[in-house]
Amino acid sequence: MTISRDEIFAKVRENLVNALGVDSDEVTGQSTLMGDLDAESIDFLDIVFRLEKEFDIKIPREELFPAEDMLNNSKYVENGKLTPTGLEQCKSSMPHIDFSEFEKDPDVNKMGDLFTVDVIVKYVEGKINA
Amino acid sequence: MRWIWIDKFVEFEPGRRAVAIKNVTMAEEHLHDHFPGFPTMPASLMIEAMAQTSGILVGHARDFKEKVILAKVVKAVFSRIVRPGDQLRIEAVIDNIADEAANITGTIHCEDQLVAEIALIFSHIDQNLAGMEFPEENFVFNAQFMELLSCYIPSKTVQS
Amino acid sequence: MRFILLDKVTELLPGRKISAIKNLSLAEEYLADHFPGFPVMPGVLMIEALVQTAAMLVRVTNNFSHSMVILAQADNVKYKSFVKPGNALKISLEAKNITSMDSSFTGTACVDGQQVVSARLKLRHFNLADDDQSLAATDRKIIEEMKHRAQLLGAC
Repeated sequence: MTISRDEIFAKVRENLVNALGVDSDEVTGQSTLMGDLDAESIDFLDIVFRLEKEFDIKIPREELFPAEDMLNNSKYVENGKLTPTGLEQCKSSMPHIDFSEFEKDPDVNKMGDLFTVDVIVKYVEGKINA
Repeated sequence: MRWIWIDKFVEFEPGRRAVAIKNVTMAEEHLHDHFPGFPTMPASLMIEAMAQTSGILVGHARDFKEKVILAKVVKAVFSRIVRPGDQLRIEAVIDNIADEAANITGTIHCEDQLVAEIALIFSHIDQNLAGMEFPEENFVFNAQFMELLSCYIPSKTVQS
Repeated sequence: MRFILLDKVTELLPGRKISAIKNLSLAEEYLADHFPGFPVMPGVLMIEALVQTAAMLVRVTNNFSHSMVILAQADNVKYKSFVKPGNALKISLEAKNITSMDSSFTGTACVDGQQVVSARLKLRHFNLADDDQSLAATDRKIIEEMKHRAQLLGAC
């Protein structure tokens, strides 16, 4: 099944609109899920369910969003910044995200900026074409 | 006011789907405030009827090991008013169930007329809400709920 | 138990916003069932508190023109924490739109500065007499009761 990136974006956008109760024009490729679209932990689960159904793929939750227990674990996060172990963990479970800029100042509060709609579209594209 | 918003299960397919009924009666005190002279079942309590029907369905699917609580009302749309003497038919379907949460969609009908469409997400709070304190034992699935369920299953066996 | 889910209106700007408080007390009987040994406010009663507060804003804004002001749709209601007996739930709603027949709101409620619930709500408003003229007196009765309640709660 070949499906273009634009088509993937349109379907991802529709599902985000339904999951988050936002308007369609609020969802752009650069919109951050946690910042611009106000998504929270419970929404991540909703989004994962919907994308699995929409695209008929399996999405382990920690591949798409940071795991709750990771953020609360001193092995991965210390003084509000990701430790080298934490960074490695993120890079290995979420290879579709580019952490190179974030690595320079791995402030856990800025991590949300990494999770944009484009990142989700790229992830889905990777899964479908795998 | 007792906090039980369904009266009986009439269909129960473990792990998949359940149907419960709720009788609406003048004996319910809250109806007299909502509204004085024209009692009607509050929409919020219809959401609870769906939450209880689907919560028991989800809990049963996980052997009642976890505390299953309502985490999100994705959408609830109400199209008709419900009056004393009405009997509601609440149908809940599990769309997805995972370790941390479950997704439910359902409808409420009264005499084949659509009253509400509701989509919910439950969270299994032993898996989530790290750092919050709550009791060890499963306070969610108390005796009242277990009684409702036990009353249904034997009769299903009889019918089939 | 009385089905009134707000105790005091603390701010009201007609057509725009409303803030209110709902105190949670062990005196509320349903808490014995929700849950035994761990009394917490049911999530749907948080929705009801938001709805009744929004309805109060609608009634005052529209000068009590309609008897029935009810929830038509709830979207994206998210629960973040528990509300326990002894807590004061601070409710805050902003109206996106209020017409004579419907209204929409975004609302949140907090305990000790922490948000416990957020929601988007749509209400619809009508009179029973719109469909049945014989119920005009019932409309008047409900409107009178709601005016009295608004005064009691400090909404007007």
